[in-house]
Amino acid sequence: MNDADTIQPMNGRPPYEAGDAEAFFTHVGSGGKVEADDWMPDEYRAAVLKFVEMHANSELMGVLPERDWIMRAPTLRRKLALTSKIQDEVGHAQLLYRVAEDLGKPRTAMLQDLLDGKTKFHNVFHYPTRSWADVGIIAWLVDAAAIVSQQALRDSSYAPYARTMKKICWEESVHIMHGRDVVLTMMNGTAAQRGMVQEALDRWWGPLMQMHGPPTDPAKDKDLHWGIKAKNNEQLRQEFLSIYVPRIRELGLRIPDPALRHDETTGRWIYTEPDWAELKSVVTGHGPASQSRLQFRRDSYADTQWVRDALLGPADAAGA
Amino acid sequence: MSTTERIWEVFRQEDEGDPMVHAGNVNAPDEELAMHYAREFYGRRGESHRLWIVPRDAVTELDDPDLLKPPFDRSHKKPGGYIIKHKLEAAKQRAAGEAGE
Repeated sequence: MNDADTIQPMNGRPPYEAGDAEAFFTHVGSGGKVEADDWMPDEYRAAVLKFVEMHANSELMGVLPERDWIMRAPTLRRKLALTSKIQDEVGHAQLLYRVAEDLGKPRTAMLQDLLDGKTKFHNVFHYPTRSWADVGIIAWLVDAAAIVSQQALRDSSYAPYARTMKKICWEESVHIMHGRDVVLTMMNGTAAQRGMVQEALDRWWGPLMQMHGPPTDPAKDKDLHWGIKAKNNEQLRQEFLSIYVPRIRELGLRIPDPALRHDETTGRWIYTEPDWAELKSVVTGHGPASQSRLQFRRDSYADTQWVRDALLGPADAAGA
Repeated sequence: MSTTERIWEVFRQEDEGDPMVHAGNVNAPDEELAMHYAREFYGRRGESHRLWIVPRDAVTELDDPDLLKPPFDRSHKKPGGYIIKHKLEAAKQRAAGEAGE
């Protein structure tokens, strides 16, 4: 009879001891969490740092295409919303650099590596913008593609990152509504406005399909294996297509991929193979706007040196 | 990390009476800038009723599993440690039987 009258020994020990990498990987591989000051193997620390740093870089660089449109926003409300979104994204960069700093790389070193082109940022931020419709497509679909992967990161084994993603996802959901509202307003406008949205979609579709990266072998993907991320590239792309293809088509927009269709038997989306060579070239700094965006960041960093000097003192601010 | 950088842990209260919940942390050389950062990151949408900004080095952590998760059954300290369903049924039956005598 289970009446709990006897004292039972329980296993209250932590699932791994400091220095025991094998037990650590079993822990994270089975859904366990890691905090900033917990012991972790160097390769796990390096992998989380690389992942979070790239994410932080993307948030910081991602505001530049939108920044170009602040002064050209069609109404005061749109201008407020766009400015607010840009503030949010820079805030996300700050939060994520903070997570990365706790893993051991100083912020000055991360910014310097970004400016020197040594670290990467998302492919979609290497392209120029051409019209106000780009602002709608970026806020709606680029942020939607991003949120699909960010929602999965709320389950990351690295707990400080997972918690930060909860806050970021909450703010991103506002951006998607803002972008969808911009697109809907234009689609309900003149034929010329609808043409602008279609033209923007035609240009952004390729980069959007590349954004989650080529399919990887799940068995060899250590970020997946260690629970740093919860879903693989192809899962994320399929999820994005499932939600957004119907929402794009219901507005009367054409997706510029004649091969795109949903296969009822496999439940998967079939599409033209994205241009992976373009993705690789773009993220290594050879995109149409890569160098101008980086140069803007370098100039901006130099222009704001006096602020860091004032706050931190010249010696500290100079030391990277 | 430079000598003047300091990490501040931020706790936020969503509404009056709610618990203070850890929100995240900021990196700032002094309390004044830490307050500005905390306000920008955790209060700019009006989502916080109150923020606490605490230097990280002022936080004392206790995470010793020997103290917090000792390897013994602690169920006698929790309501769920007392399974009374069958005992209660037996007691009721006994009481009903006595009343009927």
